[in-house]
This record gives sequence, C-alpha cells and structure tokens, in this order.
Amino acid sequence: MNLERVVFGFFIILALALNLGFVAGEIDNPAHHSPWLLFSALIIGLITSGLKLGDRSQLGALVLAASLVANLLLMIAVSVWAVAEGGLDEAISPGLIVAIVSLGYGALAANVVSVAVLVSDTLMSRQ
Amino acid sequence: MSATSDLDRVTAIVLQLMRGPILVLLCVYAIGISGMALMPGVDADGNPTRMNLFHAFYFFTYTATTTGFGEIPFTFTDEQRLWATVCLYMGVVAWLYAISSIIRLALHPELLRAIAERRFARSVRRISEPFFILCGFGDTGSLLARGLSDQMIRAAVLDMDTERIKALRLRDYRVNMPGLCADASIPRHLMDAGVQHPQCRAVVVLTGSDEVNLKIAVMTRFLNPALRIICRDTDASHRELLATVGEVTLVSPFEVFAQQLDAAIYTPVLRAWEDWLVGDHAIDLEDPVRPPRGNWVLCGYGRMGRALHAKLRAHSSEISVIDRNEGLPLSGGKRILGHVDRNTLADANLADAVGLVAGTSNDQENLRILLSARAINPDAFLIVRQNHHENELAFNAADANLIMQPSLVLARHILLFLLMPSLGGLLRYLHSDAPHEVEGLVRRARERLPRGAPLLWSEEIGALDCVVPGCRERLPDVRVADLLRDPARRDAQLDALPLVVTRDGEATMLPDDDMVMLPGDVLLLCGTRRARHRLHATLRNPYTLHFLTTGEDPPRSWFFQWLCRRIGAPRALPAAR
Repeated sequence: MNLERVVFGFFIILALALNLGFVAGEIDNPAHHSPWLLFSALIIGLITSGLKLGDRSQLGALVLAASLVANLLLMIAVSVWAVAEGGLDEAISPGLIVAIVSLGYGALAANVVSVAVLVSDTLMSRQ
Repeated sequence: MSATSDLDRVTAIVLQLMRGPILVLLCVYAIGISGMALMPGVDADGNPTRMNLFHAFYFFTYTATTTGFGEIPFTFTDEQRLWATVCLYMGVVAWLYAISSIIRLALHPELLRAIAERRFARSVRRISEPFFILCGFGDTGSLLARGLSDQMIRAAVLDMDTERIKALRLRDYRVNMPGLCADASIPRHLMDAGVQHPQCRAVVVLTGSDEVNLKIAVMTRFLNPALRIICRDTDASHRELLATVGEVTLVSPFEVFAQQLDAAIYTPVLRAWEDWLVGDHAIDLEDPVRPPRGNWVLCGYGRMGRALHAKLRAHSSEISVIDRNEGLPLSGGKRILGHVDRNTLADANLADAVGLVAGTSNDQENLRILLSARAINPDAFLIVRQNHHENELAFNAADANLIMQPSLVLARHILLFLLMPSLGGLLRYLHSDAPHEVEGLVRRARERLPRGAPLLWSEEIGALDCVVPGCRERLPDVRVADLLRDPARRDAQLDALPLVVTRDGEATMLPDDDMVMLPGDVLLLCGTRRARHRLHATLRNPYTLHFLTTGEDPPRSWFFQWLCRRIGAPRALPAAR
C-alpha cells in the first residue's frame, strides 16, 4: 500500500462520484441539479489534476489528460450557469440546464476514463 | 536518351491504347451534338425553336450511354427524332469500342507488370522496421518466410515463377510480405525490393540456379557494398566464384546436417537443447535422440554423402560407402561401386553396422534403400534424406529414426543466423569451449521455464536512467537479476533465462545474475511470452525499473515529492507493506 496511491485514488474517485451526483436526475429539471454539487465536483477535479502534475509515466499522463478534460467541461458548465442567469441561481430555465447537464455528462465520461486507467494501472503493476 | 521510369511506361501504354477510342468518341460526340442543335424543333406552344448546344450535349450524353431520359426539354419533331436515332446508333457503337479498349488496357500484361512493380516498390519503400530480401520462394524460401512471419518480421520476396508469387499472396502470414514475380538478378528489381533501403538487413539468395545466385550476389554487392548476403551453397566451382564477390555467407544444408548429426552422436544433450531453443516442440530434453557410435553405411556419395563422410571420419568411425558413380572416397572403410541392393548392402557389412544413411537425391530410391536395409539389419539406426516436401506422408510412414529435409535444415539454419546472430556464437561456445556447462544450462532451463518450446528474443537495454529526482546518482547498478524480477511480486522471477549479453560487439555467454547492465547492451533471452511482455514493459517504465532495482516506490508527482521532503523521507512515502 502506498500513500500516494491512496490519496490520489481518493480524490479521483470523489470527483467521479460528485460528478455523477450532479448529472443524475431528469436532464431538464433544474430542481434535480444542485449548483453546489457542480461547484464541488469542479474543485475536487482541479485538486486531482494538481496532484497528478509531475508524474512522467505513460498512464500518469493519460490520467492527467482525462482529468484536464473533465475540468475544462465543468468550468464551461459553471461559467454558463453563472453568466446566463446572473450568479449560480437555482431558478434557471430548463433550456439552459439541459446544456449545463450535457457538459456535466461529458465531464463524467472523462472522469470514468481516468478511474478506469487508474484501476487498470493498479491491477497491472504491483500487488 | 534518358532512362524511362515505370510511370513513363505506364503512361505510354495508356496513351497508345486509348488514343483511337478517344478520337472516335470525340468525333461522334461532335457530329451528334451539332446535328442535334441544327435540327428544327418546336417548343411547348408550337413556336419553332432549336435545341441549344448544352441541351444537345445533355441529350447526346444520355442517349449515347443508352440511359434515355426521353425527349427533353420539348417533345421532339420528326426531324429531331430521325437525328436522335442516328445519334443512338453512332454513340452506342463508339462507346462499345471505347469500353472494349479500356478492358483490353486493364488486361494488358505489360501494364499489369508495370503496376505490380510500382506497387511492390512502394510497399517496400514504406517498410519502417528491419526487413530481409528473399530471392527465390521455393521450399526453403517459403519455410523461411513462415519463420520470419512468426517473429513478425517482414521480407520482400522476388521469384521468377508466377505460381510461386501467387502462392505467396495466398499465405496467411502475420505480417505483409510484398512479393514480385521478376528476375532478381536484374538490378532494377533488386532496387525495387529495397537493396538500398536503410532498414534492409540482408539478402537471402535461394534460387535454383547457381548462375542466377552468383549474378544476384554480384549485383547486390555493387548496389549496396555493406549489405550482408546469404547464399545457398552448391558446388565447388560456384563457391570459388562467390568468394571473389567477398563477404558472402554460404550455407549448405548438407554441411549443416552433417555437423548436426555429428553433434547428435557425440553431444546429444547439447544437440537436443539447440533444437529445443529454435522451436522444435517434439524434443524431449530428458531423453534426446542418440544416434549410436560405430560403423556407418552411407548410400549415395553426392553432396550429402561427402559432407557426412568428412564429418564422421574425423571421429574415426568406419564408414562404408555405396554409390554407382566413380569418385568414391579413397580412405576409411569399404568402397562399393554399384546400385544399393541386398548384395551391395551385405558387402558393406550392414549386418555389423550401427546405422545407415539413405542420402541419394532420389526420394523413391531412398525409401527403397530403407526397406532393404531393414530386412538385413532391423536394429540399425536409419537416417533418410527427403528431397521433396510433397513426399512427406510417405516418409513419415517409413518410420526412419531421423528424416533429413535439406530445405527445412537450410531454412532453420538461415533463420537462426538472421534473427539471433548471438545465439550462433553461444552454440559455438558451448560446442567448443564449454561442453561441461551444457548439463547445468539444461537443468536451469528446465527449472525456470515451463515445458514446451520457449520463445527466443533479444531485448535492447535503452537508457537506464531514473526519473526520480536526486536518484540518478544513488540508483545502484542494475543487475541482470533485477531486470528479471516479476513486477507483480518482486521476490519472484520471470520465466526467462538470459543467454548472451552483447556489449559494443563483445558477447558475454551465459551471464550470471550479478552482471551489471549498461545502456546499449543487447540481451538474448529465452522464456515465455508473458516474461517477454513484462520485461519489455519494465525497460520502458522507469518507475517499475526503480522499484525492481531498489524495492522502493518513490513519489511520482511534484506535490508528493514536496511532501516527502517536508516530512523527511525523500526516497519513499511511509508505506504500510
């Protein structure tokens, strides 16, 4: 067991979980999508990328790339929400929430990739 | 006069064949279109009008190609219908003529050859990994190509025989083997096959004719003086000529076999190990085939007979030779002139001999000799030469102790020479300098490797640097044993046996586990596919390499490196192992 792996695994899986929590529910119902979940998913995602900086192995680079993609999409989602309705207001039009949740799904895909890479790396290397 | 390229030839053929039809089409179109535009017509309201040139062209196009959309834009007058009929017949005939010319062009042998050459040259040019050139795709050539394909190595094949090249295209090789039906002794074809390609490693010359082989060797030597040439060896005069070309490796299946038989008689374990290494699955390392020592009877004193006689004589066995031609050896054992039959075999003392070699160049004769020999001495060790691959079933049924197929022996030998030059060195070393190490080597191979034929491969040690900051200085020497640790369990070893380490052209045979590896070393190993995969991954992942050498798992990212320095454990995080 290695502390680095534990810490990194914790953050990357937490990012995935928060992201999933945000996108779950009806896609056009603003009541199902909390801005707080979106915001925390973004923060955790940024921390994950920061933790992976400096790893020079191939799989490390792949995980870093995937988590950067997730961050980018989440950042766009947050900006859309903030700019369109003036602040992260929970009263948002259904048309806009659809776009934001779609971006959230994109970020979810990227997060799934990084978790899959992490798991396969762990399984393949040492026991 | 300038040299014509393939493209020029193709263009010339196309122009020559298509000039007629294109002219005819042009004339027919011109006549049809102008006629149609001149014919008086009426529009929808009955006013006189004429078709404009574009409409006439459109009408002629669909009429001449028998599409027939109807009378567009207005219903035709009788004059227009008359001309439309003329257009139809003219156009269809002209098109039929043009299409038949196109088909003739597509089947033109000269054009097909030019296209095949271009395609071959292009696919050879695109090869980016090391490859070989095979001239001659007979029994030996195809066995060799099969062996190369098993190792995922490509070869460019040249053969004169269309059927052989067709057969090549039908094989299910694991890599693409470009082939061309052409005379390999013509420099242009050798160039197409990549003689000057930077990745070309050797030319293997295996055509059936000595003349052609010699020509190919000479041309290759001029086109690329540094290239290795391996040539099938035949008779002595030819050998003299090839010697003047310089640096040509001659391989004779008979000399290789004689050497192998000699080794099988006097060092059977080493011989069996050699076969096992090169992938003979039927070899039993515990109990190899042991041809007996003693007196032998040689039937046939051709190339094979001579090679065997020379080799076996060195161990002073008594050898009786039967051949119907003059020119029998002058020394050692009986010499009997005549057909091989019961009388001559009895004369040759077969009843007291330990074995017999049926080594003529005729397969039926060899099988017949086996039958007669078995009747006289059922216990004799029988070796038979099989000249043609298609007789395989009969030879398998004949139940000889050893079947010698020149093409197979040759293909295996060349393959080994091409793929594992350092293995040849190892075998020579074991044969001459260290026969006592063989037993230990075989025992270790049995302990470490699972049963069945192993995989032989060579692994280049790249840069052995360490990505861990501040670690490059501290990283202890990487030993052979470290590389062969299992990344999944550091205490366990991969199923692989290091055989030779080549460093700056110097080979170290059977390196021991403590030998320190340096960047640029080439390691020859035998082992399992899994071991190869793991070792390959280890050498390309500095973190794994560091873990295997030191047993430490260093922090990878900048944050954790900083954290480690802060808590005062720069080499690894505190880990609960």
